Amino acid sequence: MSIKRQKLVSTAAIYAMLTPTFGLLAVFSLVPFVWAFVTSFFDYEVGGESRFVGFDNYLEYLHDPTLLPSFGNLLFLTVFGLLIVSTVPLAVAKLIFSLKSEKARYLYRVLFLIPIVVPGVAGMMIWQGMIYNDTGLLNETLRMLGREDLTRGWLSDPRTVLWAVVFMGFPFAGGINILIYYAGLAGISESIHEAAELDGARGLMKFLKIDVPLVMSQIKLLTILTVIGTVQGFEGMFILTKGGPGFKTMVPGLWMYMNAFSFQRMGYACAIGVLLFLLILSLTILNMRYFRSSEELKAESA
Amino acid sequence: MVIVLGLAAWALWPRAATHAGADVHDVKDSAPRKYTIRVAPGIYMPGRRPQDLGKPLDGLRDVTREFEKQYPDTRIEFTEAPVGQREYLITQLAAGQAPDIINVNVGDVWQDVQKGWYLPLDKYLEQPNPFIAKGQPGSVQWWDQFKYQAISRSKTAPDGKVYCVTYDMVETGIFYNKSMFARLDLSVPKDWGEFLKLQQKLKDAGVIPFLVDKGAVADWGVDLVFNQLYGTIVPGLKLKRDPSREAHLSRFFDWDELAFLNQKGFFTRRDPRFVETFRILKAWRQFFEKDMSSTDLTKAFVTQKGAMYWTGSWQVNRLVRDPDVGFDWGLFYLPPIPKSLSRFADGHPQCVIGGSGTQFEVTNSAFDDTHNAATSEKLKRTIAFIQYLTIPKNVDRVVNEILCFLPNVVGAEPRPELKPFDTILQRDFANSKWLYTFDLRFDEIMRRMLDLYINNGISEDEFMAWMETNVKTACETIVRRKQIDLSKFEPKWKELAPLRAGVQELPSEH
Repeated sequence: MSIKRQKLVSTAAIYAMLTPTFGLLAVFSLVPFVWAFVTSFFDYEVGGESRFVGFDNYLEYLHDPTLLPSFGNLLFLTVFGLLIVSTVPLAVAKLIFSLKSEKARYLYRVLFLIPIVVPGVAGMMIWQGMIYNDTGLLNETLRMLGREDLTRGWLSDPRTVLWAVVFMGFPFAGGINILIYYAGLAGISESIHEAAELDGARGLMKFLKIDVPLVMSQIKLLTILTVIGTVQGFEGMFILTKGGPGFKTMVPGLWMYMNAFSFQRMGYACAIGVLLFLLILSLTILNMRYFRSSEELKAESA
Repeated sequence: MVIVLGLAAWALWPRAATHAGADVHDVKDSAPRKYTIRVAPGIYMPGRRPQDLGKPLDGLRDVTREFEKQYPDTRIEFTEAPVGQREYLITQLAAGQAPDIINVNVGDVWQDVQKGWYLPLDKYLEQPNPFIAKGQPGSVQWWDQFKYQAISRSKTAPDGKVYCVTYDMVETGIFYNKSMFARLDLSVPKDWGEFLKLQQKLKDAGVIPFLVDKGAVADWGVDLVFNQLYGTIVPGLKLKRDPSREAHLSRFFDWDELAFLNQKGFFTRRDPRFVETFRILKAWRQFFEKDMSSTDLTKAFVTQKGAMYWTGSWQVNRLVRDPDVGFDWGLFYLPPIPKSLSRFADGHPQCVIGGSGTQFEVTNSAFDDTHNAATSEKLKRTIAFIQYLTIPKNVDRVVNEILCFLPNVVGAEPRPELKPFDTILQRDFANSKWLYTFDLRFDEIMRRMLDLYINNGISEDEFMAWMETNVKTACETIVRRKQIDLSKFEPKWKELAPLRAGVQELPSEH
């Protein structure tokens, strides 16, 4: 068998092995995407007639009364999420990394990772039922302190609901993010730290000037994941508040879901989905373009 | 890998019909049968303990076993389908995989009548029930069996067809703590003014005057207050007459009428009655529980933190059977709004807003043996099963097993504890059901914004702006989807002009 033929057979075998994966990906991800894109140009009610409406669904969404509140909420949630993801887990990772004992470092890594075994939905329901409920921890504490006047429905009061939602998961220190930062910190060469210390860098200064730039790849990764997760995600709001009271915690993803499955406005929901896709794509491109990782910075300076 | 895939396939493989759903059969009775009818019976699910009280239910199981003896080729299988979840319902119905008999709010059915998902039942209701002896109600027409005739017949959809068999009745009422009322020297109010004063006294006494779910305010509250303010002008606005629904829904506005009236300026900021409807609800809000989302209302009533509780007849089951209820309780209905409190009211009695608690609809799955309702043997058995369920003694065994609903069949009397609801059910029906029967998106937005408005989250102007847009969008959607020609109402509108001539503060068209 010639080398060329051998190569061909080996390539064909690789493609053959990839085909089922690609097929499933196409059926469950790519085809629905194309279908959603096409459907966004129709007034389509499940079980009803479908009518081509051009860009009407998109134009209608631009005038949708939920558009501004839901994108306002999305912006707030994204900014808050980014602030949290780029600070608390990094600080905790640094603290663990700074421990002298390897055993202690291992123990704390495990302890901080354990909360991820609790499903997110269960965590939310615990906060909803045990902390924010009328007879939950917050209100009962206030009552105990004689401040009945301050009690409220934390998830139903328009003034507190958004803050109540974002503070769920406080103190934000558990989970995989710490491990990602820890891996980044572990990858920084000891010689860099020694050189920095010789130059007089200590404590917070060393952390900000040496560690943070060198874990920029991790920050970038978590930034992208947070943005995508926040824009796409609606299950939290669905479970906790259904986007209420009013539209105080509505997010575009939840409105898309409700239009599709509650109001049977599938075409309209698809239009929202396509717009969300474009938004995520744009934000990811911006992130990739302007947010440089340590490797890229190194490459540029070389 | 092979083992894992094999185990996964085994786990996901559909179980044989004999084991799926609630088991009503003995183990030995697992022989295959030609027809399997899947039923989502709602609250009467065999084995269930409604509100976690009393013994597990077995009335429906017993009736079903008897039916199966008469139809040896048929198996009835009960399923806990979340039919109240629109997402579930739509996907199952669209795929033709819904249970054959379901129990869905009739308003939900009306949303989809044009899609062929539900079977019109008129022809069966107009024929005798074969299980009824000659001379008994139902032996000429199945229709005659139903006790609350007007309400049952009013379940006719706007397309003129009946898609449900109304099995029982539910109604709302205000449960009140009689012992507390006696202690505070309070009595049942006769009108809305007294009602507000009563609630103020209870508030001053340090209890929550009125416990109510926020969904109930948006649903029942809006309909009842709307009825009080529009009741007197309905004759000048009512555009349709439908003999099949006249007995109960003679004053009821259907979606096409609402859409036409909206074109004439009704249900906008220019319509002072519409604004006043929500203003009255907001003024009432001060007497409700502080947190309308997470307060356990039943617990608050049972533990005497709240004095009154507006809820449905199903709560009787709890109050009678719960050993923690350490007080006497009574029931009254919402009092009328007098003219002294609103210039649009005239003090006529509050209307009824309840109706069927359980209504059986037959879905398109019921004739999936031939995909033709006219030739389906399975459908014949499906209908027969519902007919069998409506035999008076069977209704008694099923409905009266719990203290939630009132039987809707002549010859099956309600339990004494539920009799007060029978009186309430004799009242006139509401002019409208804004939620459920109008438009689903409208429902969602109205619930949300009303919640925000009555809880001081937005001003009246903002709320009315939302409502105006919401009603307009819903009307446009309905006209488009149902392909309604509103111009057909113009002649009738002109004909009714003399009836509107003397009415004050009607909205302008523009």
